Amino acid sequence: MENSTQESHLRSDNSVTYESPYPVYAMALSSVPSRTSLNHQRIALGSFIEDYANRVDIISFDPETLSFKTHPSLSFDHPYPPTKLMFQPNRKSPSSPSSDLLASSGDYLRLWEVRESSIEPLSVLNNSKTSEFCAPLTSFDWNDVDPKRIGTSSIDTTCTIWDIEKGVVETQLIAHDKEVYDIAWGEARVFASVSADGSVRIFDLRDKEHSTIIYESPQPDTPLLRLAWNKQDLRYMATILMDSNKVVILDIRSPTMPVAELERHRASVNAIAWAPQSCRHICSAGDDTQALIWELPTVAGPNGIDPLSMYSAGSEINQLQWSAAQPDWIAIAFSNKMQLLKV
Amino acid sequence: MDEVGPSNQGEPEGASELGSEEGSKVRWRPRQLVFGAYSPRNEADRKLRVVVRRPLVARLTKDIIETYQICNPQFKYSEELNPKRFLTSPSVGVLNDGYDNVNSDLILTVNFVLTNLETQRRYIVKDVLGHGTFGQVAKCWVPETSSFVAVKIIKNQPAYYQQALVEVSILTTLNKKYDPEDKHHIVRIYDYFVYQRHLCICFELLDTNLYELIKINHFRGLSLSIVQLFSKQILRGLALLKDAGIIHCDLKPENILLCTSVKPAEIKIIDFGSACMEDRTVYSYIQSRYYRSPEVLLGYQYTTAIDMWSFGCIVAELFLGLPLFPGASEFDLLRRMIEILGSFDRTIAGQVVVVSKWEKLYRGQPPDYVLKEAKNTSKFFKCIGSIHNTENGEVFIAGRSAYQALTEEEYEGRELKKPLIGKEYFNHKNLEAIVTNYPYRKNLPKEDIIKESQIRLALIDFLRGLVEFDPAKRWSPFQASKHPFVTGEPFTCPYRPPPETPRLPVAQNIKVDHHPGGGHWFAAGLSPNIPNRNRVAFHNSPHFPMVPYGHANSYGSIGSYGSYNDNAGLGSSYGSYGDSSNMFAYYSPVGPSAMNVHSQGGASMLGSSPDARRRVMQYSHGNGLGVSPSAGNFAPLPLGTSPSQFTPPSSYGQVSGGSPGHYGPTSPARNSCQGSPLSKMAAAGQFNRRKSWGYSGSSQSQESSSSSNWQGQVSDGTTSSQAEANSQVGSGLPCHIQSNSNTANWKQQRGGIGMATGYPVIQNIPNSLGLGSNVQLQHGTGAAQDKTEASMSLPDPGDWDPNYSDELLLQEDGSDESCITAEFNRGMHIGSADSSVGVGRFNRALTTSSNLSIQSRQNGPVGFSHIEVGSPPSANDPHAGYPRFISKHSHFMPHMTQNSPSRLGQQPVQRFNHGRSTVARGSEWNHMKVQLPPSSFSSGGQRSPGNSSFSNGMPWGRRTSHPVANIPPASRGRKDYGRIA
Repeated sequence: MENSTQESHLRSDNSVTYESPYPVYAMALSSVPSRTSLNHQRIALGSFIEDYANRVDIISFDPETLSFKTHPSLSFDHPYPPTKLMFQPNRKSPSSPSSDLLASSGDYLRLWEVRESSIEPLSVLNNSKTSEFCAPLTSFDWNDVDPKRIGTSSIDTTCTIWDIEKGVVETQLIAHDKEVYDIAWGEARVFASVSADGSVRIFDLRDKEHSTIIYESPQPDTPLLRLAWNKQDLRYMATILMDSNKVVILDIRSPTMPVAELERHRASVNAIAWAPQSCRHICSAGDDTQALIWELPTVAGPNGIDPLSMYSAGSEINQLQWSAAQPDWIAIAFSNKMQLLKV
Repeated sequence: MDEVGPSNQGEPEGASELGSEEGSKVRWRPRQLVFGAYSPRNEADRKLRVVVRRPLVARLTKDIIETYQICNPQFKYSEELNPKRFLTSPSVGVLNDGYDNVNSDLILTVNFVLTNLETQRRYIVKDVLGHGTFGQVAKCWVPETSSFVAVKIIKNQPAYYQQALVEVSILTTLNKKYDPEDKHHIVRIYDYFVYQRHLCICFELLDTNLYELIKINHFRGLSLSIVQLFSKQILRGLALLKDAGIIHCDLKPENILLCTSVKPAEIKIIDFGSACMEDRTVYSYIQSRYYRSPEVLLGYQYTTAIDMWSFGCIVAELFLGLPLFPGASEFDLLRRMIEILGSFDRTIAGQVVVVSKWEKLYRGQPPDYVLKEAKNTSKFFKCIGSIHNTENGEVFIAGRSAYQALTEEEYEGRELKKPLIGKEYFNHKNLEAIVTNYPYRKNLPKEDIIKESQIRLALIDFLRGLVEFDPAKRWSPFQASKHPFVTGEPFTCPYRPPPETPRLPVAQNIKVDHHPGGGHWFAAGLSPNIPNRNRVAFHNSPHFPMVPYGHANSYGSIGSYGSYNDNAGLGSSYGSYGDSSNMFAYYSPVGPSAMNVHSQGGASMLGSSPDARRRVMQYSHGNGLGVSPSAGNFAPLPLGTSPSQFTPPSSYGQVSGGSPGHYGPTSPARNSCQGSPLSKMAAAGQFNRRKSWGYSGSSQSQESSSSSNWQGQVSDGTTSSQAEANSQVGSGLPCHIQSNSNTANWKQQRGGIGMATGYPVIQNIPNSLGLGSNVQLQHGTGAAQDKTEASMSLPDPGDWDPNYSDELLLQEDGSDESCITAEFNRGMHIGSADSSVGVGRFNRALTTSSNLSIQSRQNGPVGFSHIEVGSPPSANDPHAGYPRFISKHSHFMPHMTQNSPSRLGQQPVQRFNHGRSTVARGSEWNHMKVQLPPSSFSSGGQRSPGNSSFSNGMPWGRRTSHPVANIPPASRGRKDYGRIA
């Protein structure tokens, strides 16, 4: 297959490819290599199948041997393609050393406990009053400062903050005037969201009456699909517009005017991730099959910003994760493959 | 992982060029392992990827519903069930079938749709901008126009509903009749309708208000240049109001809003919810306290002068950052007024005070004639002497008033309660000291401080004329607009405004009612007599005094403007008051060049003396007099307001330039007809545009600005679409004629000459205005409407020409003669195709200038006067029955004018015109106008030097030769416009 040619230039010790039986969209890397599992890092992969029945597979990656290990038992059915998967961040002292908490979003927010050799569904968090009605969740984010909080974004224009320990809604905000497509935590009580209304808004749970619009897409109502908050420097966030090759870098101190627009992709950008170890680097990937690593200059040149480096995958890259647990590996997903790329 | 950090050595140049990283603790760089260096070239070689499928990210966000439905055909989702974000509080529906909350406010949620059921236009509520006793104001998206508007959603209660209708009526009138070009800083009303039993009024969306602006500035004053800029703009609005006989009644910083995204800060006056007609001052409890005028506070009859008081308070507040009279109670308010205005500090203003009677102007409390009559006098004053001395409000006998303000104790004794007294914000007690000692901005160079201190003296003088206790002495907008503080002229001595308040330049405009039935007629009224009358008035008129101010060259615009018209129609229709017409001409001949010729056979001509400034007035008010309101033009009032409110009393007619201050006996015109604005509004898309062409077309008669439209058309060169239209119309329609005449006017303005032609016709006309007006009406009826419409359809250049409207605004200050001429010239030289453009500009320039002239003397040299005069002829036309003929004349005239800077004697000119006119007949005349003049002049050699630019001849000459354009006007016009665009 096309892989052979595409990957011919790859050195095997710097990249590893996993082939899934299904097209892959959602993808998560566990936050802490589980020591008991020989430094293996867990990776959750969600399928994108045009059917009600979808799958989530947990595999583990051994950076020593650069190999993946699959566990047939660590796999479960998921209704609809998961829109996002995420392991609980910052698990300093896991109750059971070998277990991870995994959350998935789709029709509802679901919590799963990933054990050594099994997966237990913990809960289905549903805030809908009526059984008829289901507003799909487009994304969610797990608060890494206060891991009992998960915020979800929904096409019903709301963001819902869950207290997952109690399994209750902490608050639900009508965050936007249109569908909300992504959400990202900044601090324990501060999150931001992007929406079909084209705006990036910041919310503070201490003042739920107000939000701050820090960006609006130039053409009104051009949807913003994804949002990434720079955890190394909370002043910055990045967002992408639908059908746009641009990565828009925002400085929350100067609303409305992006500090930079990264425009070297040759097709629409599908995913973005800030470097977990540097406040100035960000990776983006898109339909042009490329993953680009950018360094934000202190001053942008007149001709725009060129990426620092690039990687071409075999086909459109749909997903990108840059894990704090493995900062020198970037994970991308394209077609039915997941690839780890060393940086 | 350790090695990750330091591993940047090997970085290719791509990385290094991105500059040094300052201060970051761990310097991390991605290594190029699987990632390679970025190389755009390689990319370029690759074929572009054609991606057929939507990215998964889009399929799980934007298209997630489709995706889910593919996954599960049973999946259903309905936006209807989305949680609603309530914008109205309380949000519980208890009234009006659950649509309204307990306050009778419509319960709004985000994306709530307000629909004008008549036009099906949808307004999607996005946010609430504010609320008040009247209801709420929502920011709405209009999909049809892809724009935001502000919609005032009135409470579902009859009283608010009725009051809001008044606002609709007043604003519609102001917008349509008095300010179709949107140059007077009054908020635009776009639409209104009833939805769920709530009256919804759509306005242009504006930005923050001046109070917020001051607040953002931490309650520090704004710079004097900004204060001046805003003052000038507010005055333009107030001039319009005065002209229309409308009192805003709630002028305050909160009701003056910045416009969205205009470079030089532009502001608009909003909230006419408390406004009333000057002759219908029903309510006594009006105006927000800090800005409440003494006469309102005292319960005395009030006029538009109360807005000038508020305006003074606003100007002071803009400068100081804090309200001038922050009265905690009415007693406190009055106390502060007396304290701040009562003591006049000679030492500070000493240098300014030259006039011996100066002090008298600075009376420290309301004049006795007010106190004697006011209802609440006893609440605040005690009588300490005889009032017999009072005459003309000049009570000072031995410098004493018969009244003395109560002290706090006395007040308490009478009212049995302590008055609320607010705290003092200023260390100084009187106005002069407060302004003079207001801290300067930090780090201001010495020379700037000196400069500013001079301007502050001007400001003090300015404020003194505004926050003047005596409403009769308080300056009118017109007077205030000539103050050096506003004009920017050096302030050398206390300003003495023209004693009278002529109607403001606004008046220059001849307002033509856009409604076919209505406005056009105005011109009709000119009777030969009129000129005389005017003339007389003129001499007497205060204007004269003004002259001195004017730069020498300036125009003397003097004029009388003013004619007010009431509409007869009003009664029946909303808002149609006055439409029409005022016209007056002023000429300022500055010089030799300008002559005005006027009319009638010369005999009446005013101007025989070249240098005199003369104005011709005409008037046209036309419609009114004879017409019965019932005249078919009225559209039914949709809303059902009671007409009676609006009907101006007949006495109302203000007018006439001649009689200074008082309303002239004449009420020139009333329009009988304007359709009810309301109904119109709905239909009118045009409102959105800056210039609505509907107006423009019809509005030619309006002042210069209107003329611009007109001009544009004219310029098209060959054919003047309009002209033709007019000509055709001619016989029937006065209005068209008018338009022509206007054209003529502006041109004339330039030259000053030219007027004459029209007049002869006039002579025939019955003398009395009234008659004239009647006549017009008669004509007007049938055919006229169609024509009018035709004219209306003509696009306004402003719509296409990006430069057009803005420049108008911008040019105000700058335009002086030279500019204008320059532009003009430019236009002229350009090839025929371009010429149209050029003309357009020219017009613009003119327009501006003309406006300016009145306002600022600076423009001087040009000496345009607003000539509204031109119109007169047209007015007459109807009678004459030769509308065409007339029109022709007028057109010609204009040219003449232009060229004639002239030394041409009147006579010659006239003749010239006549001759021309004859030639010109027919549709061609438009062409003629443009073309002819030059040629003729050139031949004559008479033109004045200045004009020379025009004359160049060939192009013009050529055109001349083919004067007639057979082409149907309308099409022409369009075509041309397109080209312009």
